[in-house]
Amino acid sequence: MIVDAIAFYSMAAVAVTGAVLVVTLRNAVHSALALGLSLAGVAGIFAALGADFLFAAQLLIYVGAIAVLIVFVLMLLGRASDLRLRQVNQQWAAALLICAITGVGLFHLAKLFGGIGAAAASRPTTRPLGLLMLGDYVLCFELVSLVLLAALLGAIFFSHKDAP
Amino acid sequence: MSLGHYLALGGLLFLIGIFGALTRRNIVGILMSIELMFNAANINLAAFNHFLHPGGVAGMATALFIITVAAAEVVVGLALVLAIYRNSATVYVEDFDLLKG
Repeated sequence: MIVDAIAFYSMAAVAVTGAVLVVTLRNAVHSALALGLSLAGVAGIFAALGADFLFAAQLLIYVGAIAVLIVFVLMLLGRASDLRLRQVNQQWAAALLICAITGVGLFHLAKLFGGIGAAAASRPTTRPLGLLMLGDYVLCFELVSLVLLAALLGAIFFSHKDAP
Repeated sequence: MSLGHYLALGGLLFLIGIFGALTRRNIVGILMSIELMFNAANINLAAFNHFLHPGGVAGMATALFIITVAAAEVVVGLALVLAIYRNSATVYVEDFDLLKG
């Protein structure tokens, strides 16, 4: 029990700290590095939930690919003078209001589920996930590969030098 | 730990993501905030799977699909950002008025 609590609170602290740094830091490259930290914290939350395959996929795809891709693109964009410009718009009060209203609703919902305690010990999930992907979800699995192919072609098309 | 703790964490990450998406001026900053919101949804899916349906893996499968679609989304989004930057030499969203006519 106490191990569960330590895992949850440490990983939640990492994820939330990284997320706050993502939205507040002025330098976009620092934001991207904080995003990597936050995504690694979320991976730790998945591990605490017993989702072992999701933990590995999160580290491989999000931390290893998406965060690094964002850092690469940030190195191609922008100028040095961006560091002295304001990085947030003037709508922060309205945004804070929206967040407060949404937050009250979300935390009331979370409180409804507060009594549901720990379930049975978790088992390895890779084999059941593979059976599900190639069984019930095989159509979604094939469709998502088509989506990835379309994204690949779209990225090549849009980033080509003679693109419209 | 109860399900409520994980849902509260997911909600907090989602709120931080919404705040970033509404206030950042840099288009890549907005994309990063959207990634935070995807992660909040994935935490909720994995938590519901773990606490309410301990033997099953359907929630994790859905989270995997979300990770895949998020990867596709960020790849196309960053390619579009590069194309816009080549045309208008800015990364700030209030300067993106190519379609205004």
